[in-house]
Amino acid sequence: MSTSVQSLVTQPYKYGFKTDIEADAIPRGLSEDVVRMISAKKNEPEFMLEFRLKAYRKWLTMAEPTWPNVNYPPIDYQNIVYYSAPKAKDKKLGSLDEVDPTLLDTFEKLGIPLSEQKRLANVAVDAIFDSVSVATTYKEKLAESGVIFCSISEALQEHPDLVEKYLGTVVPIGDNYFAALNSAVFSDGSFVYIPKDTQCPMDLSTYFRINNGESGQFERTLIVAESGSSVTYLEGCTAPMYDSNQLHAAIVELVALDDAAINYSTVQNWFAGDENGKGGIYNFVTKRGLCAGKNSKISWTQVETGSAITWKYPSCVLVGDNSVGEFYSVALTNNLQQADTGTKMVHVGKNTKSTIISKGISAAKSKNSYRGLVKMGPKAAGARNYSQCDSMLIGDTSSANTFPYIQVQNSTAQVEHEASTSKIGEDQLFYFAQRGISPEDAVSMIISGFCRDVFNKLPMEFAAEADKLLALKLENTVG
Amino acid sequence: MTRSVSENVVAPMARGTEQRDTYLKGLIQTVKGGVPADLALPELRSRAEALLKEQTFPHTRQEDWRFTDLSPMLDIAFACADGPQGDTTDIEARRLPETAGAQVVVVNGQVSPELSQLGGLPQGAIVGSLRDLQNHPIWSEKLVQRLGQASGHHDVFTALNTVGFQDAVVVWLPPSGVMETPLQILYGAEAADTPVLAQPRCLVVAETSSALTLIEDYWGHASTAYFTNAVTEIWLEANAQITHSRLQREGSGTFHMAKTVVTQARDSQYIGTAVDFGARLSRHNWEIYQTGEQTTTKLYGLGAITASQRADTHSLVALSHPYGTVDQVHKAIVDDKAHSVFNGRMVVAQAAQETNASQLNRNLLLSDKARIDTKPQLEIVADNVKCAHGATVSQLQADEIFYLQSRGISAPQAQRLLIYAFAMEMLETIPVATLRSRLTKILAQWTGA
Repeated sequence: MSTSVQSLVTQPYKYGFKTDIEADAIPRGLSEDVVRMISAKKNEPEFMLEFRLKAYRKWLTMAEPTWPNVNYPPIDYQNIVYYSAPKAKDKKLGSLDEVDPTLLDTFEKLGIPLSEQKRLANVAVDAIFDSVSVATTYKEKLAESGVIFCSISEALQEHPDLVEKYLGTVVPIGDNYFAALNSAVFSDGSFVYIPKDTQCPMDLSTYFRINNGESGQFERTLIVAESGSSVTYLEGCTAPMYDSNQLHAAIVELVALDDAAINYSTVQNWFAGDENGKGGIYNFVTKRGLCAGKNSKISWTQVETGSAITWKYPSCVLVGDNSVGEFYSVALTNNLQQADTGTKMVHVGKNTKSTIISKGISAAKSKNSYRGLVKMGPKAAGARNYSQCDSMLIGDTSSANTFPYIQVQNSTAQVEHEASTSKIGEDQLFYFAQRGISPEDAVSMIISGFCRDVFNKLPMEFAAEADKLLALKLENTVG
Repeated sequence: MTRSVSENVVAPMARGTEQRDTYLKGLIQTVKGGVPADLALPELRSRAEALLKEQTFPHTRQEDWRFTDLSPMLDIAFACADGPQGDTTDIEARRLPETAGAQVVVVNGQVSPELSQLGGLPQGAIVGSLRDLQNHPIWSEKLVQRLGQASGHHDVFTALNTVGFQDAVVVWLPPSGVMETPLQILYGAEAADTPVLAQPRCLVVAETSSALTLIEDYWGHASTAYFTNAVTEIWLEANAQITHSRLQREGSGTFHMAKTVVTQARDSQYIGTAVDFGARLSRHNWEIYQTGEQTTTKLYGLGAITASQRADTHSLVALSHPYGTVDQVHKAIVDDKAHSVFNGRMVVAQAAQETNASQLNRNLLLSDKARIDTKPQLEIVADNVKCAHGATVSQLQADEIFYLQSRGISAPQAQRLLIYAFAMEMLETIPVATLRSRLTKILAQWTGA
């Protein structure tokens, strides 16, 4: 593997453009007043302000975690804009036609057409631009089957009881430093409620876009699946290229009641910084699903390719008997990216099952760590876990680490963990060359094969996109 | 050989940082008070003391001690143990016929020349107490460059041992020196009426192309509080070979802290087996550092604990040169309310290309009150390597028991048989037949087979 080829330019980040739009932003910095201001701007019910203030006060007492295997200069939390929204017209938007066309163009450019004629046929999209939700498609059609899919701000106005009942039940406000910060200042996000015995008629999707160079994004997603219901949810993210680092601290909470199933897929492609590590998003995210009911199931699938730093552990708390947690992940790091990601499977109920498949690919000078926890509680009789984490190293300056924690307190529980490390060998490339396949194609085929277990779990459109995305990201890293 | 016993300096107070700091300071004073005048080693000891002063007594908020809580020790004020005295029948029973003429006996951290039996060493080899070597030419030429110099010497308990060890066993093999007879080092813990601590220390240096089979056997009967803080430093020079069996069968009141640090030069081979049966709480830090290419390292571990025992093994294999081979298997059987911890860390630096490493951790959890925490940890920078690790936690397989039952073996008997077989895989790596069969008997008693 010649280093000269490796040093060739990588594919430019094609979502790096910036939209010039007048923004309604609050001054930099964080204080109790800022928290109150955000709450007031969104005209939130009283309990929400209480929630935010409690979180803010908790946050002040906490310290930033230092255990992840990542390095970054200290973040100045007073130098971040905590709320930024495209300037809205005075009245509330009635339909898509009233949305600023620049915004619609932006999303169209990102491949997410929102307008009636062009929107994706079978996917409902909630588009979030900086701190606010711009539009949600197919709302009416979903409402026919009783499904609520809207921005969380809207949900706070229209379904405050539901939000109050579930918000913060899976990720408590003081769960960790970034979760507390998010709980204090979160601006928008998606809210999904699937009523009893309903299979959501179409896939739901949220598209996140950070535009303002000084703002952080703090979104909050809450999905509640009532007993017997099921839903597939997709999430995509991009951001323009800036020289400075931006903070993205999101929370996703999933609640699955008896016999419910939630499928949550993410393709994360935030701006990763340039090849010298300048700029990029700090992606510090808390995602957790609660299998509260019997026979419930939560499945996380993630393809992590962007962000300067990723710190993210989508987890499942398996409380209901016979509940199932799944985690399928591909994490790719290139240049100077750092990723410390993995999952936590906490088995509480009887006969709970979890599967973890994690594939890490590290190229150039990047750092890729898998950190996972499998915990079998004393009452988790008959619980099972299978974990597999494979790493692939491209070039000898990248690193791949695994930190799997296994804690077992029940003798009938069974845990299996496997991990391996490999590289794309010259002999493999030679084998492909013999058959007339160029090194570039060979690499992309090997990687696609390496990740197949995970891609198979993605919804169709996403799988194709993910495959392409990885190929682009790694172009010219191997020769 | 009675030594001064320092006063208890621990005052009861809340379990905070302050208490831990005070406790550690008390321990330092205690062990310093036990240092014999003829083994002052001021440079080495003051450096270790300086390192210790920057630290606190380990607590569960530290990643390295997250699952092993040492706070029960904070209630106990240990004094330095006295040297060998009294009953020797125990020792006689532990001598192995294979090691006749190559036995060193250490009681409460001090070498007993009377009980040791040494003869028939290869030409130029040295085995004995550090105190007898101060006028030997190797002291200034080589010994000071090895003793207390291995990586990881700053760890709390390792530094504590360096500050206050009262004696050390030195094993020195000259170039091409091959010791045909396995060397047995017996570390006895003689309980006293009051809680005591002993700090056995051992330095093994195998020069170029030498070979040795080493058996370290820690045992004791103390059901009262006893604190063993052992450190063994092993240096393998180019092409040297050491097969090492380490047994820990301490008494039920013992806190056993141990460090085995192995430094391997090019082409050397280290095969180690560590067995933990005893102690109230044991912690074994097993660290391998590579200083040359093409080394071979095999680590086999077995822990079988029950009642409210705690056994913790932290292994570290640090590879920094090409063509290293590592094979590690660690097994634990945990019954009743016992708690087993395993942390297997492998670090493959960028220079360690063509490394081939595998690690397997298997655990049998036999009771619902027992607990296992394991973390097989890989940190890899080199790209041209093969590294795999695996960990499993389970109970006995129902189909395997059924298979034996279908052949007329009762279920409890089948269970015992399977546990026995699970553990035997590790014991079979011990090269000395008598020792192997003795441990097999202990295991059979343990499982009731």
